[in-house]
Amino acid sequence: MSNQAALIEAARGGSATAFADLVRDYRDGLLRFLLTRASSYADAEDALQDTLINAYRYLHSYDSRWRFSTWLYRIAINNVSRMRPVDTVELGDLRDEKSDPLAHCIAASDRENLWRYASRTLSDEVYAAMWLRYVEDMSVNDIAAVLERSVSWTKINLMRGRQALSEGLGNNATDDKSTAYG
Amino acid sequence: MDKLAKQLREDAERIECTVSAELDKRIQASLLATEPEAAKPRGRESRRAWFWWASSLTGVAAAVVMIAIVNLQAPDAVPEASAPTAAPLVLPSIRWHAETAVLTSPLQEEIDDLQSDLRKAEEAVKQDIDRLF
Repeated sequence: MSNQAALIEAARGGSATAFADLVRDYRDGLLRFLLTRASSYADAEDALQDTLINAYRYLHSYDSRWRFSTWLYRIAINNVSRMRPVDTVELGDLRDEKSDPLAHCIAASDRENLWRYASRTLSDEVYAAMWLRYVEDMSVNDIAAVLERSVSWTKINLMRGRQALSEGLGNNATDDKSTAYG
Repeated sequence: MDKLAKQLREDAERIECTVSAELDKRIQASLLATEPEAAKPRGRESRRAWFWWASSLTGVAAAVVMIAIVNLQAPDAVPEASAPTAAPLVLPSIRWHAETAVLTSPLQEEIDDLQSDLRKAEEAVKQDIDRLF
């Protein structure tokens, strides 16, 4: 039995310490993703806490045929979508700089961080697909499983996301004209 | 790794954040206060199945008894039913005038061209997707 499998088994038996060890390596990555999706740093931290508690509570439903990170991201994305009402998504670019959770986390640079540009131009699902693909190195099948979409949908929307971001990259990522897809 | 993928990865790495000690404490405390839900025990499911079978069989038995009772009773004399007097329903006849559309040759050619363009576009998109993923 692998170390991860042993930790999962112990956590299922009620060991919070085993669960904390199990998720230790995933927490920073999840927080980084949640920061790009939440409206404030505190919301991102709350979302991370909720994600980990839900994962611990419903660990019995985890299927070991999946990667553990895939399952965690699925819970995190569900939490984020509950946290952000659908009708506020389009207002992303009206957020003021002080409340932007990324404002203090991104090192100063002469160009805009592409994920901020992506946040304004891509839909939540396409953004999540792009993040899982290019930051978490997930396979298309895993991304489809996380987003509960078909593999074809995932491939097409990854391509649309790439097109939209390539345009942003070409325009120095500062053009406010949205080329949203998805 | 292409330029865009590389830049996306770099920009994600530029987002500096770690779980703070305070958040770590909060998470630990929440986890300790949470009980993981146990998987549903098999015994309960088998009890449910047993209950389902028992109630189904009881229902079927009750239905059989009712049918038997109804059929064993002597039939009462049934008065002769009078013939129904409902007036026949007359639907007004509607004449539909429809003519088959005949496509002229240029239109047909245009449709063929459009379909051909569509097939080519589909092929191009499929090739792009296969190349990327």
